[in-house]
Amino acid sequence: MNPHLQISNLTKRFGRTCALDNVCLRVERGTVLALLGPNGAGKSTLFGCLLGLTRPTRGDILLDGGVITDAARSRFGYVAERVALYWHRTVRDNAELFARFKGCAPSCALQQLTRVGLDSVTQRPVCQLSKGMLQRLGLAIALCGEPELLILDEPFNGLDPALLDTFQGVLREEIERGATLLISTHTISAVEPLASDVAVLLEGRLAAHGSVSELTARYPEEASLEAVYRRIARGEELEALAA
Amino acid sequence: MNSAVFNIRSASDCKAQGASGKAAKSPVFNIPFSEDKPISAKHARSDCRATQIRVLAFKEFGDRFRSGWVLACILLWLGAIGFASFLGLIQMGRIGVQGYERTVVSMLNLVQYLVPLLGLLLGHDLIVSEKEERTLRLLLSSGVSRSRLLLGKFLGACLTIAVPLVAGFLVAGLVIGLAARDSGLAPFLKLAFSGVALGIVFVAIGVALSTFSKTRVQAIVAAVLMWCAFVFVFDLIALGITVSYNSPAASREIELVCDAMHVNAAADIHSDADTISSAPRQTSAGAAASVAGVACLAVNPVDLFRAVNLSSTLGVHVPVGAGVASFVGWIALSLLLSRWKLNRTDL
Repeated sequence: MNPHLQISNLTKRFGRTCALDNVCLRVERGTVLALLGPNGAGKSTLFGCLLGLTRPTRGDILLDGGVITDAARSRFGYVAERVALYWHRTVRDNAELFARFKGCAPSCALQQLTRVGLDSVTQRPVCQLSKGMLQRLGLAIALCGEPELLILDEPFNGLDPALLDTFQGVLREEIERGATLLISTHTISAVEPLASDVAVLLEGRLAAHGSVSELTARYPEEASLEAVYRRIARGEELEALAA
Repeated sequence: MNSAVFNIRSASDCKAQGASGKAAKSPVFNIPFSEDKPISAKHARSDCRATQIRVLAFKEFGDRFRSGWVLACILLWLGAIGFASFLGLIQMGRIGVQGYERTVVSMLNLVQYLVPLLGLLLGHDLIVSEKEERTLRLLLSSGVSRSRLLLGKFLGACLTIAVPLVAGFLVAGLVIGLAARDSGLAPFLKLAFSGVALGIVFVAIGVALSTFSKTRVQAIVAAVLMWCAFVFVFDLIALGITVSYNSPAASREIELVCDAMHVNAAADIHSDADTISSAPRQTSAGAAASVAGVACLAVNPVDLFRAVNLSSTLGVHVPVGAGVASFVGWIALSLLLSRWKLNRTDL
C-alpha cells in the first residue's frame, strides 16, 4: 500500500548551497510528523517543495502514489512561519477569500474562525491583530475545506500558554478527523504530545526518522524528545568534527 | 542515502498506526474533487479553476475600487475628454464643444501618453507586491496554479483600466453628441475601442515587468523606462532609420505620426483633417511605403494606435486584422513570458 506522502531523494540547491540533500521520507495517512532541526536545516525548504513554491533540483514527491497537482494542493492546509495576509482587509474578508480559492463556501471560513476563537474580531482589519490572533487566523484559513494534509511551519511561535492549549486542542480534533499533520518547530515540548513520528533535519540531510517511541527507545537514557533531539544534533556535530 | 542517517522506520515496516498509539482512522474528507466520481470531479475541477480566476480578478478590481483608483481615473478621463473637446482648437482660435472627429484628433496625444502609463502603473506591481508581502506563498499553496494566478490578476487589472476608460468615453461621448449635435460617432468609437485595447496591452506588459522584478522599486523604474521606450524612443529610432535610408514618402508618414505629439502640430493635423476629403495625398510610392510603415508601426502598439486613429489624415489604411493581431500578439507574448518566469521562481 502506498504511503500518504512519499519523498524520495529530494535535493534542492540554491547556487552552491545545498538546502536539501537526498531527503527520503514516508508519511502515513493520519499520522503526525514533527520535523525538527536547527535554523537553516532545510525544514521550510522541504515544505516549500511540498507546496509547489520551490522547485526541487532532484527527487520526487508523491501523494497517494501520484504527483502533487494544484487540485491536490487545494486539499492541503498551510500555516506559514510568518503569517502574511492582506493587511488592509478584515479577518472575515481574508478567511472567505482563501476559502473560495480552495473551493469552499464562505460559511466554512466563518465556522473555522469560530473554532479558533476569532468570531468576535471578524470585522477587524488584519493589520490590527496581535501575533497570537494572526497565528489563529492562519490556522483557521488552513483548516478551511477539511484538509487532508496540514503543513504547519513553526505554528507555536509567539503563543502564550492558553493559546498554545487552544492550538493543540484544534490540532487534536484534526488528528481525530483523520488529517495528516507535518509540523516543523523548535518548541519540541509543544509538539511532543501530538507527534507520532519524528524526522530530524541537519544541514539539509535527514539525520533521523522514526516513530517517537522508536527514537526514545534508541536513547533510553534521555528523558524527553527534546533531549533525544539534542543528542542526535550533537552526535552529528561530533561526527562532522571527526570527519 | 547519507551514512549518518538512521532510518528506523524502513519502507517495509511502515504502519498506518502511529507509534504513540493514535489510531490512523480511515479518513472521511469533504473534498469536492473525489476520485470516485471522475465525471463530476472533472466538472468540479474546472468550476474550481474558473472560480479561482474569477475571485482573483474581482479581488484585484475590488482592491483598486476601494483605494479610489477607479473613481479617480473616471474623473480624470471625463475631465480630459471634456477639455480636449472644449479647448482642442484653441490654437486655431476656436473655443467650444467640438464634434467627434475633432475631439478624436485633440484626444490622441492624451490617450497615447496617458493610457500606456495607466496600464503600466496598474500592471507593474500585480505580482511583485504579492511576492514582497509574502501573500503569494499562501495563494499558491491554496491550490491556485501560477497560470491561473497570472490570468486572474491580469483580468482584474483589465477590468480596472477598462471601467474608467469606458465610463469616461461613454459620458463624454453622450455630452459631445448632445452639445455639438454630431452624429458621426465612428472616429470616437474607434478611439474608445483602440484606447481600451492599448490600455490592456500595457497592463500585460506591466504584468511581465512585475513578474521579472524582484522589488516594487525595480518594477516601477522598469515600467517608467518601458513607457519612455514605447512613447518616445521607438519613434526617434524609427525616424532615424527612415532618414538614414532617405525615403521621403515614409519620412513624411512617420513625421506626421510622430509630430502628433507636438502641441503646435495639433493645429496642422486639424488643417489636414479639414482638407483631407478635397485633396487626396496618397501616391503610389506613398502607398508602397505605407505598407512597410504599417508593418513597422505594428511593432509598437502606441504607433499602431496612432495610425489607426489618424488613418484618414495619413492616408494609411491599417487593416483591422493587423491591428488586432498586433495587440493580441503583445498580450500573448507578455503573458507567456510572465508564466515562463513565474514557473521558474522559487518563493
